[in-house]
Amino acid sequence: MSKQSEQKSVSEKMNELSKLVAWFEGDDFELEQALDTYGKAEQLATEIEHDLVNLKNEITVLKEKFDT
Amino acid sequence: MASDQIPKFSVSDFIAVLNQSLEYSFGTVEIEGEVASFRVNQGKWVFFDIKDATGSVNCFMSLFQLRVPVEDGMKVVVRAVPKITAWGKFSLTIQSIRPSGEGSLKKSFELLKAKLDKEGLFSPERKRPLPEIPAHIAVISSTSAAGYADFIKILNDRWSGLIVDVAHVQVQGESAPEQIMRAIAYFNSRETLPEVLVIIRGGGSADDLAAFNDEPLVRAIAASRIPTIVGVGHEIDVSLADMVADVRAATPSNAAQLVVPDRKELTNTLGQLVRRILVRIDGMVDDYLKDTQAMLRQGWTMLDVRVDLLQSQLVTSRQVMAAYNPKAVLSRGYAIVRGEATTGGMITIEQQERIITAEVKDVETI
Repeated sequence: MSKQSEQKSVSEKMNELSKLVAWFEGDDFELEQALDTYGKAEQLATEIEHDLVNLKNEITVLKEKFDT
Repeated sequence: MASDQIPKFSVSDFIAVLNQSLEYSFGTVEIEGEVASFRVNQGKWVFFDIKDATGSVNCFMSLFQLRVPVEDGMKVVVRAVPKITAWGKFSLTIQSIRPSGEGSLKKSFELLKAKLDKEGLFSPERKRPLPEIPAHIAVISSTSAAGYADFIKILNDRWSGLIVDVAHVQVQGESAPEQIMRAIAYFNSRETLPEVLVIIRGGGSADDLAAFNDEPLVRAIAASRIPTIVGVGHEIDVSLADMVADVRAATPSNAAQLVVPDRKELTNTLGQLVRRILVRIDGMVDDYLKDTQAMLRQGWTMLDVRVDLLQSQLVTSRQVMAAYNPKAVLSRGYAIVRGEATTGGMITIEQQERIITAEVKDVETI
């Protein structure tokens, strides 16, 4: 897992994966690049699954008071 | 009592002393009654009477303090300071007014709903979509409420990696609308805006949920720069805050379901995405194979045509050659005569199967 992609949020990774899938379904598709791109997509999918299992929601109750 | 012991005041002092006494005795009071003679003067001041079967008191307030629509006949609870005016008239200076009883709450709700609807605040065109997968959300609720606990539980069950900022506010009672409005303003003024603003509260009586029909609060939700989702009460409860929000959730739990996707569903979707890619690659390889095979077949077909053509040309050539072959002529009974065709000369006569040598006896010109 690359350090750069670790810093991305799940939604950013999902967007990236959607773009890769769109490339496969678009007119720019080239068989020569397909295996390389498929590798990236598979890695992203694995990272997203990993994130979904291991990350926790970061819930913060604000200290600000709203009663005055 | 001697006349010098009887208190003596100027009119103004007397009114001031009376007001002081009223303040010591009551301070602020809440009075429940029915509204009568309701009117707004100069677009600023509100006058009405609050009455019951046998009594009636004049009331006064400024228009901006009126947070819910009021009309004659409505049962209300007013929070007020009793006062004697400079003209000696007893009056209640109203600090707040809220409908009381199911009928009045409903009436007030319908009046405000009609007003806001006329302004287009509930129009579908105003609704903004929520992000499919938010990374940062803001929640406005009471952290001690059951609805909040339900929301957080469902949120954690469904999704991870989310930043959730929670503003703890009162979600019922007189101060609730102001607190929620301050929290909305707080999140809307942050340098980095949350992607969704979630306003939630669990179930309660109509009176408990009345805060979510407060006009300034409803307008604050409508004006939020951050897309809003409101989940108040149970499925059957409808508040104006729900109606004006970009997305209405039936309950706080439903709000969590609408805010984030389910990780299990997403994992399935990921699998489907990867499979779609493989299908595409397989399809592309198949297409290339089909194209290659088609080109190969075309090549073979062209080769066959050329071979046939050459074979046909060969046959023709053979036929022409055969036609010119002298032996073919001999086979039809003809002969080739060679030698000197003069009388007494020797000649050879070649036939298909023999050669005859002969002497010329005579030569006659035809």
